[in-house]
Parts: sequence; C-alpha cells; structure tokens
Amino acid sequence: MPKSQSHSIDPEGVVFLPVSGKLVIARFITAVIGALLVLAITAVPLILHRSGVWAGYPAWLAWLAPIIVVVILLWEMILIPRQVRAIGYAERDDDLLIRGGIMFRRVMVVPYGRMQYVDVTMGPLERMLGLSTIHLHTASPGTNALLNGLPAAEAGRLREQLSARGEAKLAGL
Amino acid sequence: MSEQFFQEQPFRTDAPEQWHRVHPVSPLVRGWVAVVAVMFVFGRNSLDSIFSGDGIEGALPTPGGMAFLIMVLVVAASAVIFGLAFFLSWRFTRYQVTDDHVHINSGVVFRQQRRARIDRVQAIDVVQPLLARAFGLAELKFDVADGGKSAMRLSFLKLAEAKRLRAAILARAAGLSVDPLAPTEVAEAPESHVLALKPARIIGAAVFSGTTVTALLVVGAVVVATVWSGELGILVAAVPLFIGLAASYWKAITGDFNFRIALSPDGIRLHYGLLETRAQTIPPGRIQAVGISQGPMWRPFGWYKVHVNVAGYGADSSDHGSRTVMLPAGTLAEVMAVLGLVFPDPGVENPFEVFTAGLKGPGNREGFVHSPPSARWLDPFAWRYNAFRATQTALLCRHGRIVRRLQVVPHERTQSLGLHQGPLMAVLGLASFELHSTVGPIRPLVRHMSVANSLALFNEQAARAATARRIHRDEKWLASAAPQELPEETENGD
Repeated sequence: MPKSQSHSIDPEGVVFLPVSGKLVIARFITAVIGALLVLAITAVPLILHRSGVWAGYPAWLAWLAPIIVVVILLWEMILIPRQVRAIGYAERDDDLLIRGGIMFRRVMVVPYGRMQYVDVTMGPLERMLGLSTIHLHTASPGTNALLNGLPAAEAGRLREQLSARGEAKLAGL
Repeated sequence: MSEQFFQEQPFRTDAPEQWHRVHPVSPLVRGWVAVVAVMFVFGRNSLDSIFSGDGIEGALPTPGGMAFLIMVLVVAASAVIFGLAFFLSWRFTRYQVTDDHVHINSGVVFRQQRRARIDRVQAIDVVQPLLARAFGLAELKFDVADGGKSAMRLSFLKLAEAKRLRAAILARAAGLSVDPLAPTEVAEAPESHVLALKPARIIGAAVFSGTTVTALLVVGAVVVATVWSGELGILVAAVPLFIGLAASYWKAITGDFNFRIALSPDGIRLHYGLLETRAQTIPPGRIQAVGISQGPMWRPFGWYKVHVNVAGYGADSSDHGSRTVMLPAGTLAEVMAVLGLVFPDPGVENPFEVFTAGLKGPGNREGFVHSPPSARWLDPFAWRYNAFRATQTALLCRHGRIVRRLQVVPHERTQSLGLHQGPLMAVLGLASFELHSTVGPIRPLVRHMSVANSLALFNEQAARAATARRIHRDEKWLASAAPQELPEETENGD
C-alpha cells in the first residue's frame, strides 16, 4: 500500500493514503499559467526599454521583475511535488482524517456523524487529468475539509462511503 | 376546560387546510416608521408652502386654502395607499402549526412560503417592540439550524397567543406529544426564577466597558484639538461623535436592562430589554459552546460576560448581537449558576474549583495543561494562561492574560477538530489545537501546546467526541428523559 510522507504532528499509528500524483501536473499547469500571465505584464517595461521606446527606464529594474517571477515559479516547481506528497487522508471507524502542508502543517478530523453534506467537484483541468476534489461540510464554518487531487473513481467511492457511514452514525447538531 | 378563557384553552395543532392570520394591526406596528417618515416629509413641505405662500404674496385666503386642500389630499392619499398596502400584507400572511412543521406564507407580489421542521427548531424568542407592547402584541421568532439564514418570524400575535405557540412548538420539539388521550394538547411549561441583574450592574457594566475607553479618547482628542487651535468649530464638528457614543451607551443599557434568567422545562429562558422586551428560550442541549470572558476593567469588580453558540443564531446580527449573550455581566457565583443550567453535568467532582482555575489561571492547577516554556517566544505574557482541561463531559480552553477567556465545549457538540503547526511553531516544538463549533462568537482554540500534548488532546478528543455522540443520539430531549416531569407540568398548566 502506498504511504503518504509523514511529519511530526501526525497522529501515531494512522496510515495516510496519498492523493494522485497527477495533482502535481495539475498544480504545475496552474502555476505556469499564472506565472506566464504575470510575466507578460512584468515584461512590458523590459520590451519598451529594449526597443528604445522608454530608454529612460532603469535597465536593472526592467530585468529584475521578470527574473523574480521566474525564480518564484522555479521555487513553486520544487515545492509542489513535496506539497502534494504531504496531502493525505485516512478513513477510521468513526471519522475521516485529512492532512496537508509542509511549512504550515495541518491535520483535521471530521467525524462521519457530523457531516452535513459532501461535495465532489471537477474543474476543467481536473477533468482532463481524471481528478476530482472532495469537500466535506459540517455545521461549523471552521471545518475546511478539502481534499484535492483524488482520482475520480476514488472520489466517487469515498463519497458513497462517507454518505453511508454518515447515515449510519448520524447525530443531531 | 371549554369555558375558560382564550389563553387557558389547550393548544391544538392545525389540520393541513387550517390556517391562521396574524393580528390585523401588525403591518402598522411593523411599518409605522415609514408612515411617520412620509407624513413628516409631506407635512413639512406643505406647511412650508402654506407659510411661504402667506408671507410673500399677501393674498391670504386663496393660496393658503389651495395648499391646505393639497395637504389634505396628500394625507388622504397616503392613508389610502398605506391602508391598502397594510391590508394586503395582512391578508396575504398566514401561518399554521402542524404536528411536524411550522408553515408561514407571506408576500403580496413576491410570495414566500416557508416551512420549518419543528424538531429542528433551535431556539424561540418572543419579542415586543415598544409599539407592539402598547397594543399587547408580540413577535414570535424562531431559529432553525439551517446554516445561518434568517430566522422565521411571526409578527405580530397577541402576547398570550405567542406564548402558547412557543410552548406548543417547544413541546413538539421536545417530543412531548405522547399523551394518548389528548395527543394535540399542550400546556405551557411553568418557569422558575434563577437570577436577575440589578440596573446598577447593567449601568456599571456599560460604564466600565470599551465604549468608555473610546469616549475618553474621543473627548480628550477633541478638547486638545479645540484648545490647541482655539477654534470652537471643532467642538461643533464633533457633536455627531458624541451622539454616536451616547447612542452606544443607550443601546448597551436599554438592551440588557431588567436582565433575568429563568428555567422552564422547555429550556433556559432569558428576559431582557427596557423599551423593546425580549424573552428568549434556548431548549436544553441546543447550546453548542459557552465562552466566559473578562476584560481588565471588569477585574476589580469580578464581573464576567457569558456568550453562547447556538446553531441558528449564528450569522443573524439583526438584533445587535445580544442574542448570543447569556449573561451580560455576572459575578463568579452567577456565572457558576448559569454554567450549572447549561451543563448540568460538568463531569468533575469539584466543578467550582476547576472552573475558577479556568477563569483565573495561571499555571496548571486543577488539571489544566498550559503551554511549554518554549512558547514564551510566541506568547511572552500569556503562555502560562493558555491552557486546556478535559473533563468527562466537556473540554475547557483557557486563554489570555489581559482579556481572560474560558471556552467550554461539551464533547457531544464537537463538530470537527484540527491541528496546526507553522514553521516557527515547528522549531519551538509547538502545535495549536482547534475545535470547530457552529457559527457564533466562540471559536474554541488551544494555542501553542507542546506537540506531544496537542497530539494527545487531538486523539483523545476525537475518541471522546465519538463516544459522547453515541450516548447523545437523541434530539428530542424530553421524549426519552424524565417522564415524572410530565404530570407535574399538566397540573400546573391547568
């Protein structure tokens, strides 16, 4: 069984399942598109400067902005695979555990009996890669239980499983 | 029975085709501000035109008479328009209380049909604005746990009728409709007095509040500015500020005036208000979390404020947020009395000592576990105050040194749990524990515990919440519990 990368605030004795590795691709694509947009904007002064329209603009500043964007993109590229490996979930008898984050780590437990409804969504990019996102809602707005990058079949199975267990263990508010 | 008066009659739930109307005066009570505003604007304009016409032209009777006629016509027209609008609004508002649901239909152009499941009713208020009190009317307002959407209102009913409906809805919500001889009859549950706050306390609480700090700052700034510049215009310009401050004092004092708490079998009942009075009923087990707080100005007096989370009150800020206040300013003994109502079973042998340690801190007396010394870097003052303690039935979270807070969440009301760790906390070996409750003023959080302690808390709390949920499965709190209460109640109600 594949195991998700572990870190120090994980509860002991719980085996977290990792999400799909394709989430890395999805996040890469999002990051690259975002970076290209910002790059296009920050490149305007550089083009103007190089073409001589705006010769007075300082050359170092014209180069600096796009370089920063590229550096941030590279940093994200390094980080994304680790971030995706850090996401994990575990189904226990009474509750579902979700965890994520490297720098800012979090672990969350959502009891089946407290679930009000379960959302399964699929964006265009996710559909291309066959992924979906599952979002659990309780009566509390603080429950931000979002699980990205599940394979579509696994998301469907999890949703059915959660609904069935939720009904079996349903408690009032 | 049949010869007693109206309010003594037993309540009967309605058949599907049976509907009731609210009191005919209600649209006026609700819309009088609009009427007065229109009257004022038109009236002033017409009066102006009469007087200015008289003054300038000198031809006394004709223009003055014309203006008067126009004024009468305007008044008559607005009376007809308002009258018609009010009549239609009354005519199209109907309600019905069946065994399982409350239905309210309203709206002339945009029809609205609302239906609430009675067993999901979280709390009921009986509200009497000033004008409604003059007519002996009351508004019935009840919250359903539906993620903070607006509450359902029935405005206005006769006070006795509103109370009867409240009793009936609460009794159904409690699952009390089990009398086989008269399955649709309900008697109103009697109240027993718990505590009342004296006017001096309410005024004192308002005087020693954040408003006063703001007021002093504002007055100081205005005086300094006036003296420094020598311009009296600044004083005049600050008048709206003073009016705003006075209004917030006024609201704080009139809102909580005559605050008293009573206990009735259908729940905890809070009465308060000077001009607009409100009787708020929270059925047992509907309180999701309790927060007790004390600012530095209240410490010499030993006063505390008690807030509650009730599902359904959540995002409803229409009533200046006072609905979530369980006790505006109480002494330690009064706070304990309120906690006794909210949590009849505190889950420890010495609840007074434990809760006092939770309110006062610091350190780890009475089983409280506070942050490790490494948390000093993040909370230099409060690290020995930030602590938690789990009892058999609830989790107590204490924090803050300047403003002291204690949050109490019963295990069976835990929605979900979270554990967080930022980079700095990772270096110091800390983690924060968060407990998610329903929407409300209380967001329970245990900050900066050692990783081992917070992990243990996380695991144990998940297990405790699961166990508590299995025990407290039932929403209808009277159906299973205490059948010996019922005969007493019907005796008192007769």
